[in-house]
Amino acid sequence: MNTYAPALQRLIAELSKLPGVGGRTAQRLAFHLLRASEEDALALADAIREVKSRIGFCEICFNLAEGPRCRICADERREGDVICVVEEPVDVISIERTHEFRGRYHVLGGALSPIDGIDPEDLRIEQLYARLRDGEVREVVIATNPTTTGEATALHIAAGIRQLAPATAVTRLASGLPVGSDLEYADELTLGRAFSGRRAL
Amino acid sequence: MRVLSVSVRDFRCYEAAAAPLGGGLTVIWGPNGAGKTNLLEALYFGCTGRSCRTVNDREVVRFGSRTARVVVAAEDEVGPHEFTVGFTPGEPKRMTHDGAPVERLVDLSSRPLMSVFLPERLDLVRGVPALRRAHLDQYLAALWPARAANRSTYAQTLAQRNALLARVDHGGSRASLAAWDERLAAAAIALMADRAQASSELAAAFAEIAPSLGLEADPEVFYRPRSQASSIEEFQAELRERLSSDLERGFTEHGPHRDDLVLRHAGRQLRTYGSQGQQRLGLLALLLAERRVISRYRAAAPLILLDDVMSELDRERRQALVQLLLNDGGQAVITTTDQEHVPLIESPEIALVGVGGGSVLSPQTATAGVQ
Ligand SMILES: Nc1ncnc2c1ncn2[C@@H]1O[C@H](COP(=O)(O)OP(=O)(O)OP(=O)(O)O)[C@@H](O)[C@H]1O
Ligand SMILES: [Mg+2]
Ligand SMILES: [Zn+2]
Repeated sequence: MNTYAPALQRLIAELSKLPGVGGRTAQRLAFHLLRASEEDALALADAIREVKSRIGFCEICFNLAEGPRCRICADERREGDVICVVEEPVDVISIERTHEFRGRYHVLGGALSPIDGIDPEDLRIEQLYARLRDGEVREVVIATNPTTTGEATALHIAAGIRQLAPATAVTRLASGLPVGSDLEYADELTLGRAFSGRRAL
Repeated sequence: MRVLSVSVRDFRCYEAAAAPLGGGLTVIWGPNGAGKTNLLEALYFGCTGRSCRTVNDREVVRFGSRTARVVVAAEDEVGPHEFTVGFTPGEPKRMTHDGAPVERLVDLSSRPLMSVFLPERLDLVRGVPALRRAHLDQYLAALWPARAANRSTYAQTLAQRNALLARVDHGGSRASLAAWDERLAAAAIALMADRAQASSELAAAFAEIAPSLGLEADPEVFYRPRSQASSIEEFQAELRERLSSDLERGFTEHGPHRDDLVLRHAGRQLRTYGSQGQQRLGLLALLLAERRVISRYRAAAPLILLDDVMSELDRERRQALVQLLLNDGGQAVITTTDQEHVPLIESPEIALVGVGGGSVLSPQTATAGVQ
């Protein structure tokens, strides 16, 4: 391993930090990039740089955004009195595909998981509560994944909202999603049905 | 599902052998060391991809060979089925179901269920509650496959709560504890309800079967949950009561991960007060009772493999056991060194398979099924 030139070693080390990429795959990718034309390899570097400089988190809902606000928060036609709480930006995309939801989102950035050291402070829960303070939000739909961690997160948030904004209704997506599955893998039909049949929490 | 035959290649003492199974009771007989238990193990291996005897799979590969192979032929209403397992030590097992590769045979929803009585399984009666708890959950999963998820949900939630307790002990935040307690309570109540229902059905069957095997003085099996809670709120209250000691220990002390399935005879636990013979009968009655309940819920009773059970029973009990096995409609395989230990052995309802010298003697060896 240490026989590679330092620059190559650095590339391999960076690639192997990617999810699902082990040491061997990282080496293969690094050699592929080394053999690729300068143009192709630099296009990848540019794409990464651009995504990092242009895409950040929406200042309101923490969805991905080009600029300070995401597409949905910037859209005046979306209903401001319903917020759907999800774990990750990709969950927003899944729900948007169903066309069942006309409100706005709040992206937590994960789920509670003591095993992985994720406490409430590590999620954007306070920021959610802050959005409820002015009393304009009528309903919060919690659409965290139907997994152990997602369910606990839902309960935690529901309890917090009951304390903070008792007038706000808290609902959960109806089950119908396969147990233990991530929202990311739910098909549009089941997800749509889950939306119309949400229940009080 | 009915198992028709098992064929092996380079499995234990067998270079190549095949044995047909009867539709009811099959008796494997032969002298000590002939390969009877090996054949039972092969059946189990072929249907589950695991050994029922050892955790060290390489033991099953015949000395001097590279790869052991087992093929189990079966049939149900739909038609014939085939399960195969190929195992070369150091490589992943190759398993197929009806010709298609599968990751794990035990995950298949349509496969022959197995129930095993081996002398070393007496630990189930004598050993720590964890063994019986795990067994109860397996039986539960065989009864209602969809409910098996409740157990893993509980286990995952418990691991999360324990991680949280340990973190709080090191100065971490306890803000999410109430949410985890509520989740744990919901999972616990669901799991306990499943276990209680599964055990109560088992209790009735056990009370019928055990006396006929000679456990006559009030044989009982019952579920003993650690928690008395009957609702999520009550379970949460129990957790709250124990919070300070849980925090001190860094793990959750209370809940269904401490449950037991109690076997009793004459008012005393078989585990502590039973004689060897009574413990053996208790285990046998438990497996037969489970089999009776499972056959009510599932299309077929599990195939029950009973190794070396006859030699330890007196005449009357042998008779009772053979009657039970013949009458309950499922398939069973027993091994014996002595044909005289099996009452009714002459009956056409019993299929006889002789083994010796590393081969299946009668009926004639047929190895066509194994490539
Ligand atoms: N991997 C192996 N390769 C070859 N032979 C083996 C292997 N493992 C075990 N054996 C042999 O298989 C033989 C038969 O074992 P088995 O346990 O099936 O006998 P059995 O018929 O059940 O005898 P008993 O009546 O004493 O229980 C033993 O002599 C053992 O040495
Ligand atoms: Mg034996
Ligand atoms: Zn936004």
